Parts: sequence; C-alpha cells; structure tokens
Amino acid sequence: MEQNPHILIVDDDRDIRELLARFLEKNQMRVTAARDGREARRAWTNGHYQLVVLDLMLPGESGLDIAKWLRTQSTVPIVMLTAMGEETDRVIGLELGADDYVAKPFSPRELLARIRAILRRAGDRADQPHAPGSVKQYRFSGWTLEPAHRRLLNTEGTEISLTGGEFDLLLALVDRANRVLTRDMLLDLLRGRQAGPFDRAIDVAISRLRRKLEDDGHNAQLIKTVRGGGYVLATTVERS
Amino acid sequence: MRLPGFRLWPRSLATRTAVPLLIGLMLVQVAGLTIHALDRIDIQQVVQMREVASEIFSVFRAVAATPRDRRENVLAALHQGPGFAVTLAAGPPVTELPEMPLQTLRRFWMAIEAGPLIRADPRLLGSKPDDAPERRAWASSEFMRRNFGQAGVAPTDIVAHGGLFAHRLIMGVRLTDGDWLHFDAELGAPRPWHSPTFLAAFGLMTLVAAALTVWAVRRLTAPVRVLAAAAEALGRDVNAPPLPETGPEEVATAAVAFNTMAHRIRRFVDDRTALLAAIGHDLRTPITRMKLRAEFLDDDELRTKLLADLGDLETMVAATLAFGRDARTGEKIVALDLAELIRTILDETADAHPEAAARLAYQGPGHFTFRVRSMAMKRALTNLISNAIAYGGSARVRLDPPADGWVAITVEDDGPGIPEQEIERVFEPFHRVETSRNRETGGTGLGLPIARDIVRAHGGDIVLANRAGGGLAARVTLPA
Repeated sequence: MEQNPHILIVDDDRDIRELLARFLEKNQMRVTAARDGREARRAWTNGHYQLVVLDLMLPGESGLDIAKWLRTQSTVPIVMLTAMGEETDRVIGLELGADDYVAKPFSPRELLARIRAILRRAGDRADQPHAPGSVKQYRFSGWTLEPAHRRLLNTEGTEISLTGGEFDLLLALVDRANRVLTRDMLLDLLRGRQAGPFDRAIDVAISRLRRKLEDDGHNAQLIKTVRGGGYVLATTVERS
Repeated sequence: MRLPGFRLWPRSLATRTAVPLLIGLMLVQVAGLTIHALDRIDIQQVVQMREVASEIFSVFRAVAATPRDRRENVLAALHQGPGFAVTLAAGPPVTELPEMPLQTLRRFWMAIEAGPLIRADPRLLGSKPDDAPERRAWASSEFMRRNFGQAGVAPTDIVAHGGLFAHRLIMGVRLTDGDWLHFDAELGAPRPWHSPTFLAAFGLMTLVAAALTVWAVRRLTAPVRVLAAAAEALGRDVNAPPLPETGPEEVATAAVAFNTMAHRIRRFVDDRTALLAAIGHDLRTPITRMKLRAEFLDDDELRTKLLADLGDLETMVAATLAFGRDARTGEKIVALDLAELIRTILDETADAHPEAAARLAYQGPGHFTFRVRSMAMKRALTNLISNAIAYGGSARVRLDPPADGWVAITVEDDGPGIPEQEIERVFEPFHRVETSRNRETGGTGLGLPIARDIVRAHGGDIVLANRAGGGLAARVTLPA
C-alpha cells in the first residue's frame, strides 16, 4: 500500500467514533469521523476515501439511507456495523451493496482484519466482476446461492446449512467461477470469521464444501484443486 | 378378536354424540316398530277369529238343525274350504295341542260381534284352575245362545285346543244328542308386517335418520375442531391469524374469547421481547466502547483478560437478545436439510473446540428435509450440542426420521448428568445447576430456555434424561 488508506467512520456515539478513529490511526490508517448523514455527506464531498465504516443504527437518517446514497456516488467499499441479531438489517445492508458487516459489539481487531482484507481486494477491484450487492442469486449445477441471506438451496429448494467460513469460500468461488483462487485470497476471506489455524481451515472448509456439493456423485469435481495451491469452481454460474 | 385401535368408548366428540343419538334413534324405531307389529298381529288375530268363529257357528247351526241320519250328507254338502275341516265323531277331539284358556276362547267367540275392540276381561285372567263357574255363565250367556242356536251349549259341550300361536285350532262341540262336531282350522301365522315394502321403507327411514344425525353432529362439532386447530396454530405461531368470530352465538363467543386470549399472550410476549431487547441494545454500545478502550491498554495480560471478560459479557447479551427475541416471529419456515444442519453444527463445534472433535458424532440419515425456522433451529441445536461439550465433554447426535408422527433428535454426552430434582429446573431462565464445576464452565443459564422456546415454537418439546450408563440425553421431538 503506497499511502495510508483514508477511512470514513459514521457512528452516532461520540466515544466509539473517537476510540475507533484512534485505534485505526494506530494501525496506519487515516480516519475522518462523521456523526450523522449530514456530516457524512459533507465529509464525503470534501475528501477521498478508500472505505466507509457505517453504523446502520443512526438517529434521523438511517445508515441504510446513507449506504444507498453512497452507492449512487461511488463503488467505495462499505463495512456495516449492524446490531447484533438484527438479521433484516444485515440482509438489507448486503442487498444495498455493503461489502461486509460486523455485528455490534464488535471486536476492534476483527473489524481491522475485515477492513484490511477488503482494502486488499479493492486494490484489484477491476478483478471483481460484479459490484457487491448487485447479485441476488447465483445459480450453478442445480444449486442456488443467496448472498444477502447467506444461504444455499438445492434443486428442491431445501436449505443446506453451511458454516460461516464455508459460505464465504463458496461465495468467492461462485463469484469468480472458472477462475483460480489462490490460497492467499481465500485466507483473506476466512480471516476474522474463523478461529484456529487458517491454512488448515481452508482445506477443511473446502473438503466439507465438496462433501456437501458433490455428495450425490453427479456433481463430482465441482471444486477442483489447482496444482500450486488454489481452487476453482468449474461450472457455469447464472446471476440474477 | 380385538380390532386395532378399537375402543368401547369412542374418542371423538362427534362419535360420542352421534353414537348415543343413533342408539336412541334405533331404540325408538324398534319400539315404534314393535308397537306397530303387535297392533297388526292383534288385528290379524281378530279378523281370523271372526272368520273361523262365524264358520263354526254356521256349520254348527246347520248340523244341529239336521236329523241325525242326514248329518253326514249335510256336512259333505257344506263347503269345507282349505284349512278348515269339519267331521262328526262320537267323543271329544283328542289332540296334543294345549287346551285353550277360557279368556282366549271368550275373545274368540266375541270377535264375531265386537271385532278388534275386544279385550280380555280382567276378571278372567288367571282363572284357569277354577273357571268352571265362569264357563257355565259364559256358555249360557245370551251371546252363546244367539250364536249356537236356541238350545245353547252346555259348558262341558265345548273343548278347544290350540290357538293363534299354535297356528291351529281344534275344537269339539257336542250336539244335544251326544254326537260331537270336530272343527280343525288352520290359522295363518302372525304377520307383523303387512306389506313386503314395509321393511325396506323402514330401513330407508332409519338410514336417512342416521345420515341426518351424523351430518348434524359433524356440523355441530366442527367449531370444536376449528378451535383445536387454532389453539394448535397459536402454540406454533403466536401471530397466527385470529379465528373468524362468526357462526352460532356460542361458537362466536368462544372465538371472541379465544382471540382475546391470543391477543393477551401476544402482548405479553411482545412486552417481554421489548424489555429484553432494550436491555440488550443498551448494553451493546458500552461493551463496544470497552473493547475499544481495552485495545489501548499497554499491559498485555490485563488486556487479554479484559477482552475475555467482555467476550463473556457479549455472549450473555447475545443470549439475552436471543431469549428476548420472539421465537415465533421474524423468521420464515423453510425447507431445510436437518441432517446437514446437525453435521454443520458439529463441524463448527469441532472448529471451536478442536480438542473435543474426536468425541463428536452424528448418526442418522444422510439427508432429511424438514420444514423449520432455519436460524432458530440452528441456535437451539447449537445450544444443546454446546452444553453437551461443555458439561459432558462429548456430543453424540442421533436423528430419527418420523415415527408415530414425530421426528426425534437426541444429543447424548458422557458427563455426570443432572440431579433428578434439577432436571426440569434447568429450563428456567438463568437457572444453573449449582456445583462449582459448572461455575467454572460458565454459561449464561439461557441456552436451554432458548432452545426449548424455539423447539416449542415449532410445536415440539425438549426433554432431558439421565442415561442409564451415565451422561445426559437431551431429546428434541418435532411434529413431522
């Protein structure tokens, strides 16, 4: 990274704003904080930001409105701070195009890991075929993946449970179907979501995914291992 | 032989109402039919008696008025219809048929004049052993003189055997000169039903009445079924649509009362949810602040411990929020692969507790699609499996496909179990089994109440039991 990335924080709690700003600055980032929608717009027009951390629970103009407005302005990555257990907020936020979410009360380190992962990916944003939130459903080999609801459905419409890590891996593989994803890219995805040694976690998650997706034999070799350390989802993906 | 499921006293209200009604209806029908049949027999009897009696009288008068040597000729000339024979003899008839009681005999004679209005004279009832004076009085009555001719007949002059129920009447009447006239009349069998269509009509009537009864009873008990279905729906989903408050007055009143009750339950649940959600929401901001502040502590050990404490606090807030969240609302029921859900939870548990991974096992079908609230059910089963790992050190999960209409999921561990007196109390919010070991293990005291809330919102239940070989078994049953 050539320059310290500039982050815009939108949160109505003064202490959290200031503490988070200090924490991120301590970790080589530049931070501008805004209290509400009005301040956020002003800050947005006056600066150039690589990422926005947006609290969804704001008095007055809601975080969802701000996210909607931001999406009309740019494709800047958004990390939502959702209220714990508020599934609807998370779903709407992801559908509106947030890149990731962290539930409050969040761990600062987890938030930092997410921000870093997104910034790394944003570096090759051109590589990302689709803007986040633009795809409601992916269909491949009889499966349906719904990113906002974080669920996988089989041919009969039955939900097949996935762990958080498995879901993130599958989403990445499906979104970049027929392209090789290196282990490093996949590690980024799992970081912060999963406990334990990450590299092992990738292999375990991939083998579980294979078992779930290739179970009945007719989808054998859906996820292929690429020599030299990578995986590819070998199938046609329909987006809608 | 006993039919499977047969009970002497039926279980359904409709059957319980219909069966006594039908039995009563049949009794009334049988009684009516019996009265009708007896009446018919009575009329038939009188008609037959009248025919036979008038025949006897006319033959007797004709023969009595004929000189003795010409009687045979007269008898031969007289019409002797089928079933009616008259012969001359020297003595009274000898037959094995029982002698006719006087009251029957009297009715027999009287039939000719009074017809069906004749009833037995109560004074003659039971007069058999000593009815000679009666017979005498009777034989010399004006009636007998008129019918047997002016000479009349002496009481000993008439011997009668048989009767209507023997289908035969054998009677001897002595002529004044000592000869006997023997009458042998066949009497038709009693025919209680006059026409052959009578029974068919009767059967049809019974069928129609029975059908009407069944229909009416089913109609009457339908609201009870509706009410039961509504109560069942309310048990699964507190926001189930209200009952229509229509129909007969009593049904409408019951529906209104039911809807009022459902409304109160809903409000109670809403209040509780709102209260807990408010507490949970308000705690989130200070916890977030403290986590951020901890990051600025220079003492690594202190920071780690503080973050761990905050993690515990966060877990408790999460559990409180989960408990406060109405298990019945907010999430749609979807088709879910239950077997895959259990395996996924076990995988996640293995990731979080790698040391216990070898003691996690799933037994059951590879796939089993079931309709549940996906996230809620995952939370419930996760709580049970986490408990098994935390308190029992292992978790064996078994999924039993539907038997008797229930799907069962059993989570077994190898821990010390729970004292019997605590086994129900552990479902109370914030209650924890008070042993030092459990305090070390931590936990919020909300895992089981949340799990049971969720499972009950699905119409099922969770029961805990200490296993015979040690350890605890948590059994989840869900209606298939």
